[in-house]
Amino acid sequence: MSGQLINQIFLQVMTGLQLGAIYVLIALGLTLIFGTLGVVNFAHGALYMLGAYLAVNIANSIGFGWAIVVVPFVLFAFGIAMERGLIRFFYNRPHTDQILVTFGLAIVIQEVLKWIFGANNLPFSMPSWGSGIVRMHEWVPFLEGFVAYPKWRLILIAVSFATVFGVFALLQFTRFGLIIRAGMRDPDMMKFLGVNISRRFTIVFGLGALIAGIAGIFGGPVTQVDPEVGMHMLVPSFLVVVIGGMGSIPGAVLAGFLLGMALSFTAEYAAIQQIIIYLVAVVVLLVRPRGLFGQKGLME
Amino acid sequence: MSNFSTYLKPVLIFAAIILTMPFWFPFLGGYEGLDTKILIWAIFALGFDLLLGYTGYLSFGHAAFFGVSAYITGLMLLHFSDNIIPAMIASVIVTLIIALLIGLLTLKRSGIYFSILTLAFAEMFHSAALSMFQDWTGGDNGLTGIPTPMLFGLRMQDMTVYYFVAIIAIILFYVAIRISRSPFGIMLRAIKSNQHRLEFTGVNVYKYKVFAFVVSAFYATIAGSLMVIYEPYVASEFLDWSTSGHLVIMSVLGGVGTLFGPMFGAAFMLYFENVVSVPLGEQWLLALGLMFMMVVIFLPGGFVDGVRKLKRKFAAKEEA
Amino acid sequence: MAILDVKDVSKNFGGLAALKDVTFQVEEGTIHSLIGPNGAGKSTLLNVLTGLLAPDEGTVNYNGTPLTDITPHEINQLGIAKVFQTPAIFPEMSLLENVLIPVLASRDGGFKFNIMQTREGMSECYDYAEEMLNEVGLQESRNREARFLSRGDKRRLELALCLASRPKLLLLDEPTAGMARHETEQTIDLLRKIHSKGMTKVIVEHDMSVVFALSEKISVLAQGQIIAEGSPNEIKGHPKVIEAYLGEEQEEA
Repeated sequence: MSGQLINQIFLQVMTGLQLGAIYVLIALGLTLIFGTLGVVNFAHGALYMLGAYLAVNIANSIGFGWAIVVVPFVLFAFGIAMERGLIRFFYNRPHTDQILVTFGLAIVIQEVLKWIFGANNLPFSMPSWGSGIVRMHEWVPFLEGFVAYPKWRLILIAVSFATVFGVFALLQFTRFGLIIRAGMRDPDMMKFLGVNISRRFTIVFGLGALIAGIAGIFGGPVTQVDPEVGMHMLVPSFLVVVIGGMGSIPGAVLAGFLLGMALSFTAEYAAIQQIIIYLVAVVVLLVRPRGLFGQKGLME
Repeated sequence: MSNFSTYLKPVLIFAAIILTMPFWFPFLGGYEGLDTKILIWAIFALGFDLLLGYTGYLSFGHAAFFGVSAYITGLMLLHFSDNIIPAMIASVIVTLIIALLIGLLTLKRSGIYFSILTLAFAEMFHSAALSMFQDWTGGDNGLTGIPTPMLFGLRMQDMTVYYFVAIIAIILFYVAIRISRSPFGIMLRAIKSNQHRLEFTGVNVYKYKVFAFVVSAFYATIAGSLMVIYEPYVASEFLDWSTSGHLVIMSVLGGVGTLFGPMFGAAFMLYFENVVSVPLGEQWLLALGLMFMMVVIFLPGGFVDGVRKLKRKFAAKEEA
Repeated sequence: MAILDVKDVSKNFGGLAALKDVTFQVEEGTIHSLIGPNGAGKSTLLNVLTGLLAPDEGTVNYNGTPLTDITPHEINQLGIAKVFQTPAIFPEMSLLENVLIPVLASRDGGFKFNIMQTREGMSECYDYAEEMLNEVGLQESRNREARFLSRGDKRRLELALCLASRPKLLLLDEPTAGMARHETEQTIDLLRKIHSKGMTKVIVEHDMSVVFALSEKISVLAQGQIIAEGSPNEIKGHPKVIEAYLGEEQEEA
């Protein structure tokens, strides 16, 4: 294979990872929340947006480092408040009502942000330690010549992987995670065993919001920060969840990066790139309705 | 129960209200032509209620039908003939085929999947209109330069358009009432009530869902077409998710499942957006969003349910 | 004449044989019970009969028509109705509307786009629905919403729903599950009353008093296989049956 081709493929794969990274993080939270609480959170894109707006404001006033520290906590608290203050009243109501109330919340969050910050895009520049390029050819052996890649996008990919591994570790290696996993399979059994599953599920909701916040911090400089971005990120993220299988974490991760790849490799064909995710979703759902790793019968 | 009270009375009341609307509406404020716009959205919401209110399926994709129909009507008027009849017919045929395909695909799954997938399809059409088809649709700028629509020599402007829309609205309202009281309508309500059971009662639930979806899309198609006839311009926003979102908000605010509720919701929302918002400024949607959440949380039956509850309270008070 | 002909039906769930070479026939117009200890496969068999599950092997023939690859609604249209274990009704609709639905379904088939039909057009259906409510003694509550019914009344409504489609074969999934003694007696009486219509009934039951009171023939299922078949008297003292149930007792002991 020619060196140029290897370089090109490498870059496209990197771009695929980067494009997928944000969707993976949002989808991760979505699928966690659905898998535990059975709630389809139409406000999840708004949570990402909140994270981005918070991050840009903190970064522009006291520094990006503070944004990294503060935003996840704020979003975690917001998630907890959201679940305790609103969502939990809807567990016994039809699914449609859950969708409606979270949709309503998404609109309210969007409009409040528009009110405070205006409808225009807030410029969000990367911190100095994050800007510039990385000489990829110095790190990756099989590259030829000079291959540069934007530093921030590498950071984004790294953060995404780190978060995924963090969630994985939490679920696999902690007692909390064990209970969550068991609860995802059979919440009634958990209650029966006297485990306070609802408190833990509340924490999961906060966790989902926190992850969306992380996505907002690191994704903000890449995507726009405007009141429309919440919904713009939500639809593809939903599709990622659906393709991966609702409630499946490996599914969300795999589908997210796969979608990123699809977007990256069709970048030259602008028309297709716009609708590629929908086409992929349609095909997957026709062939395998439950998604890549979804449980059978859950959604059929 | 005689035919009169069941079918004709509500239609006559409705007809009386909207046929006289151009005379009393100006006193409520609002720009000229707002009443026409309200009627168009009322038709849109009426069809939406036949789906959400009756089968319980929440579609976020109706913007696709509204928008596609608008674009086709616009394109027909622009390139084929300024006569609205072929334009409307073309819109209906094309959009309903699309609706059928989307319905066949999305209704096999549960309600949650359906909501997500319809949202995705709408976004797909939106994306496609702005990219792949932008030579046809005018991209971000929308479809401009559409000539004044004609109905066999009648210029569709001002009062003419209003009464054209009003007559269609009356007919479609009558049809909606007939549907709701028909065996078909009963089956739709049974779907919302216990879909699983219905399947075991010998009913082809999937087919009923698809037909309900297409009927609902038909109303959206007519609304989209009328929108262009009313204002010869197609904005790319017609396909935006917010169009679907507004539809959901107005239907829920008005009272899902009551047919009249969503139409009232449409009037309320548009009135709010254009008249009440003047003092309120840009935040009209925030106010509506909060109202929407209040309704979903505390009064899921919407405005119509609220009125019913008040009536009962007063009736109880009188007896006491 | 056998209205239901089950031949060599097998069903596996990931290595577990839920049903193994199940063969039996149900004579038209009889009440045929299916009994067996827990886990015998009764529910699985019922699900195969109603089209919810497809057998891995074997055939199910209903009046000569194979019941494979048919959706549940088509099976119902063929004349097979299933009474659910937990009453499955339409909660937000009135009792009259509840029973109207199967009547409409049997008149119109699986689907009919009759969007313009008026109440007059359905008057016969409404009348018949009222009759059905009378049969089960619920006519007084005809305009109440079904969700306000007591559990016993919900059961009666459930039965009315099944009868309204005039089925030739009625499948009952543990109709007296969780019932108090007097409720069980009432159910037995009700089932006896409607039996004179010449309908075939297959009852899956745990309560032996119901089984012996009503059945003309009993098939015993254990560990996915039919181990015995015969009249109530033949089954009463049947060694294999006792063994199957005792085996269960021993496990629990």
